[in-house]
Amino acid sequence: MTVPHTVAAAATPEHQAEVAARVKAVESIMIEKGLMSTEAVDRLAEIYENEVGPQLGAKVVAKAWTDPEFKARLLANATAACAELGIGGLQGEEMVAVENTDDVHHVIVCTLCSCYPWPVLGLPPNWYKQPAYRARIVREPRKVLREEFGCAVPDSTEVRVWDSSSELRYWVVPQRPAGTEGWTEEQLEAIITRDSMVGVGTVSA
Amino acid sequence: MSSPTRESTEVGDARRRVETLIAGTPGGDGEASFREPWELRAFALAVAAYHAGQYEWSEFQLSLIESIRRWEADGADEGAEPWSYYEHWLTALETVLAGSGLLSEADLDERTRAVLATPRNANHHEAHREPIATDPAIR
Repeated sequence: MTVPHTVAAAATPEHQAEVAARVKAVESIMIEKGLMSTEAVDRLAEIYENEVGPQLGAKVVAKAWTDPEFKARLLANATAACAELGIGGLQGEEMVAVENTDDVHHVIVCTLCSCYPWPVLGLPPNWYKQPAYRARIVREPRKVLREEFGCAVPDSTEVRVWDSSSELRYWVVPQRPAGTEGWTEEQLEAIITRDSMVGVGTVSA
Repeated sequence: MSSPTRESTEVGDARRRVETLIAGTPGGDGEASFREPWELRAFALAVAAYHAGQYEWSEFQLSLIESIRRWEADGADEGAEPWSYYEHWLTALETVLAGSGLLSEADLDERTRAVLATPRNANHHEAHREPIATDPAIR
């Protein structure tokens, strides 16, 4: 058996895509043959998804909240700003951080599959991948946020929905809640949730 | 639409069981870490197939050791073939499945080509630089 070891190209995005396709192929054959269930694989992946997950994004957000110059760099070029903190994947895709304010609330989706800013948020939750969310958040974002996520955006705030693709992945810098003045970055990190960085939630102190 | 939150102790227990399993595996220092989504997927596949009774864990371990040994025997040339723990992991999984006749290389190659050839989507490799939807503010 050979893995497609493209010589001298192992770390390139093309090579990563090939290996990722091979893993998908192995999985689909294994499921077809009933060698294990997709639920079993999901459960195992879930054990680790928080490992690589949203606490990295939370670190970035906490720094942005406490360091205005870093925040400016983050909003100008999220990929580069995350790299300053040693956060980033080999995928090489561009990340864009959009900032929630009193005037605008941002929320992310991948309308076609499940593109997601993996390096900062880890694996996407299942609902993010489901057609119900992907279609409805575009059609009636305010309603979906309120009804499905209990995230009521005031009428005076515009809602913007951003479509991530494999080339450009969005994520949200949530608003810093009142009452956290003087908190350390570590204290702030602890309250920043994945949902707030997807834009389906807010951060509360 | 919210994902069900699993009892954190349950995840913790499951994780300890998995870590006991991989502790005796080369590179398995009990601290699995993943740089790419596929690495986590490959990891989970091998453990799930073992749990489903498709092979003995020792077979998988030996296969992983063998794949790493071959890379080292080839000179461990980072330039020609950079170190990727999970590629060895994937090779090991393919090898044990093939060894029990559960997977053929030809089928796998064909399926991989099919996955790569699936049009991901007409516009999905383009960056979308404007919001796809907005719901204006009422002031």
